[in-house]
Amino acid sequence: MEIQLRLYGSSKMLSDKEILHIELPNNSNIEKLRRALNKIISEKYLKNNLQNLPKTAAFFSEADEVITDNYKLKDKELISIIPPIGGG
Amino acid sequence: MTLHTALVKTEEEEISSDKAKKFIFSEKYGAESIFIGRVRSENSGKKVTAVTYDAHDQAVTKSFQSICNDAKNKFDKGAKIFLEHAKGYVPVGEISILIAAGSGHRDEAFKICRYILEEVKHQSPIWKKEHYADGKEEWLPGHSLRPKKEIK
Repeated sequence: MEIQLRLYGSSKMLSDKEILHIELPNNSNIEKLRRALNKIISEKYLKNNLQNLPKTAAFFSEADEVITDNYKLKDKELISIIPPIGGG
Repeated sequence: MTLHTALVKTEEEEISSDKAKKFIFSEKYGAESIFIGRVRSENSGKKVTAVTYDAHDQAVTKSFQSICNDAKNKFDKGAKIFLEHAKGYVPVGEISILIAAGSGHRDEAFKICRYILEEVKHQSPIWKKEHYADGKEEWLPGHSLRPKKEIK
């Protein structure tokens, strides 16, 4: 299955596009997505100080609600990655 | 109307303190408090030239409304509140956030501004990328919205 991850903040270093497509095993949940992100970052983006992102990011559903680690993802689902925030 | 909140796209318009003052004015109020946050020229020993603000627009809009309503309920249900935050490129010296509150008394007006500022920093999905004089840039660390029980 594939999910579409809309990028915000520091996660924009993962792609020049607004949405990153990630391949995951069928029936994956957010925890599996965190592991996949960890792999992508450790293979390609270690120099960008993104090592903590998979652990510290939250994820929003299309309804802009926080989704937890056991949330089952659907094929082609669009979710947002929310790195630690800090406006003002 | 007693509440105005907006995420202001900096390439289209700017945040205006005059607009805020007009919005919160009422002859019923004895106090107006205005907080202005600006991009400063130095952070952690680095010379800053600008900050780019990124935001999750829909979630920010929802959080601004919720935070301002909470502030009214906590401190003064009759207050008028104005909250705008920049999205996009903001050079040093320019306004990044403006919070204004009109209220019957000073204590409530001060508290409303302080409360809103702290809650925006902890609830609203907004991110800062600093641009430095040496040409480098960096996303700043922040507050995680991941449920605390999940972080091991």
